[in-house]
Amino acid sequence: MGQFFENNGFLLVTLVQQALLALSLYFPMMAGQLSLASPGFYAIGGYIAAIVGTHDYFAPWRDALGAWIFPLEWLLAALVSALLALAVGIPALRLRGIYLALATIAFVEILRVLSLNLEITGGAIGIFGIPQLFEARFAYMLIFAPLLAATLLFGHRLERSRIGRAFRAIREDELAADAMGVQTTRYKVLAFAIGAVLAGVVGAMSAPFLNTWNARQGTFDASIAYLAYVLIGGSRSVWGPVFGGMLLSALPELLRPLKDSRLIINGLVLVLVSVYLPQGISGACSRLLGFSSKRPSGSGELKEGA
Amino acid sequence: MSSVQLFQNLLNGISIGSVYAIFALGYTLVFSILGIINFAHGAIFTLGAYLTYTLAVGQFGINGLLAGVALPWQLPFALSLLIGAVLSGLVGLLVERLAFRPLRNRGGDPLLALVSSLGVALVLVLVNAIQYLVGAEIYTFPSGVYGDLPPAIVLRISGQPVVIRTVQAIIFLVCLLILAAVGYLVRFTRFGKALRAVAENPATASLLGISVDRFILGTFFLSGFLGGVAGALVGTSFGVAGPYFGVTYGLKGLAVIVLGGLGSIPGAVLGGVVIGLSEAFVPADYGAYKEAVAFAFLFVVLLLRPQGILGRKQLQKV
Repeated sequence: MGQFFENNGFLLVTLVQQALLALSLYFPMMAGQLSLASPGFYAIGGYIAAIVGTHDYFAPWRDALGAWIFPLEWLLAALVSALLALAVGIPALRLRGIYLALATIAFVEILRVLSLNLEITGGAIGIFGIPQLFEARFAYMLIFAPLLAATLLFGHRLERSRIGRAFRAIREDELAADAMGVQTTRYKVLAFAIGAVLAGVVGAMSAPFLNTWNARQGTFDASIAYLAYVLIGGSRSVWGPVFGGMLLSALPELLRPLKDSRLIINGLVLVLVSVYLPQGISGACSRLLGFSSKRPSGSGELKEGA
Repeated sequence: MSSVQLFQNLLNGISIGSVYAIFALGYTLVFSILGIINFAHGAIFTLGAYLTYTLAVGQFGINGLLAGVALPWQLPFALSLLIGAVLSGLVGLLVERLAFRPLRNRGGDPLLALVSSLGVALVLVLVNAIQYLVGAEIYTFPSGVYGDLPPAIVLRISGQPVVIRTVQAIIFLVCLLILAAVGYLVRFTRFGKALRAVAENPATASLLGISVDRFILGTFFLSGFLGGVAGALVGTSFGVAGPYFGVTYGLKGLAVIVLGGLGSIPGAVLGGVVIGLSEAFVPADYGAYKEAVAFAFLFVVLLLRPQGILGRKQLQKV
């Protein structure tokens, strides 16, 4: 049994990490907002950890703090992500519909171009030899698993709080929520920022885990992968993204025998699930078991939503 | 900057900008009718480039299923471009018929997110299928592909050279022709009138006897056609840089339509030219940041004028 964890440590931790990134997209979606910014914040968090961990300027800090430098990195990543989320979110979230998605695509692309060209991010090569928190890959479960548990608990509590109800109201009908006195822009920005902070912290934890960090960590492809996690898992409860993230990050491993056509099949799976299981797998399951009373929203939403 | 350099940059900017314009037009047409962004548009762009290359050159490299295959015929460039674009249009039509329409009819729940991811999933399928067939290598069009034209014309302005590449001239002329044709189609024909009616209000249009589904199909065909032409033109100019090369252009196209105004046809054209010109004027020392120009624009527009340069203000209907 111990052997199993040792051999598959990397994959198992990756499953948890991807589930967390899926959740970072789920929080904005709780308030009905499509954000594709997670890879951007993830990349920033990772760069913060990488720079604090390797740059000469931080050497005295590292000596003074020892292993406590890692929580400091997480905190820093959370802080920077929150501030950036406000800067990106406020202009984009005053508007309705597709604007946040477009602004976050631009955000991710700008960050990618910057990190490819700046000196401090190591240019196209990236940053190497980031100090490790643990020796064994599987040991990283000690930070990722508690973060996942805490996030799930937080999400669960959030759904039942006043804020969560405001999110839901905006998601179901933004105009009606506005008319009822919900401060829609403020709540949308809040939902977006929660996701951003989570992605930033996951990034800061992942840089030591992966040992190297470069511009490929934050790309449009990743945005869509995380989105697929949420949609395929289901976007109606915190469990959907976790399930989707774990399933889809294991899928390429499972499809490995198919070799070259693997990526085509992967894409086709996404197409078929989007079209035939629009409520995601968890939505389809709960419908099968008969305890979903959620109305399927009609196609009338189409013109208004966008 | 000397006036000659200014002139050269203007030429380069207008040429690439006109391609952005027709590409972005493909996004805008679909958006104005359905209110969705078709993320598969970037893949259609790639497809158009590969199809035109296949018809005009037909010589494949050393990777993929078609490795080493050389087609026995080569069509003239103009014909290849046309057929390639028509085939791209048909793929656009299939995308609507087989993916977007079933999704709309089922009414999935965060529809915006689903439509986006569906589009990108289609990109994955198309791009990986291309890679499976012809590999990820770079394909360049041979210089003689347009017939007996010289590769470039060099003008001399006050003793200094200004280079107009033949490709640039061809791109500009083709784009101009297409813009004029699309403009005519939308403004002055029965088809265009019906199209605008559907864009304004699908339910009313359908009550007036317009077959909405057919017009949506037509729009996807037109959009795919435009995407295919844009891809082929960029491909002839800079080479077809692997199956993923359309994805970057796909994202840039989004910046173009936001800048011009979502759903506005003149806006897409204006946005394309503005971004093309801005990129051309990025100083050579900062060339690496050129890729970020379009996205920086997107942010500025969101801050200052979210409806875009020519867009209509968002109406808040209940």
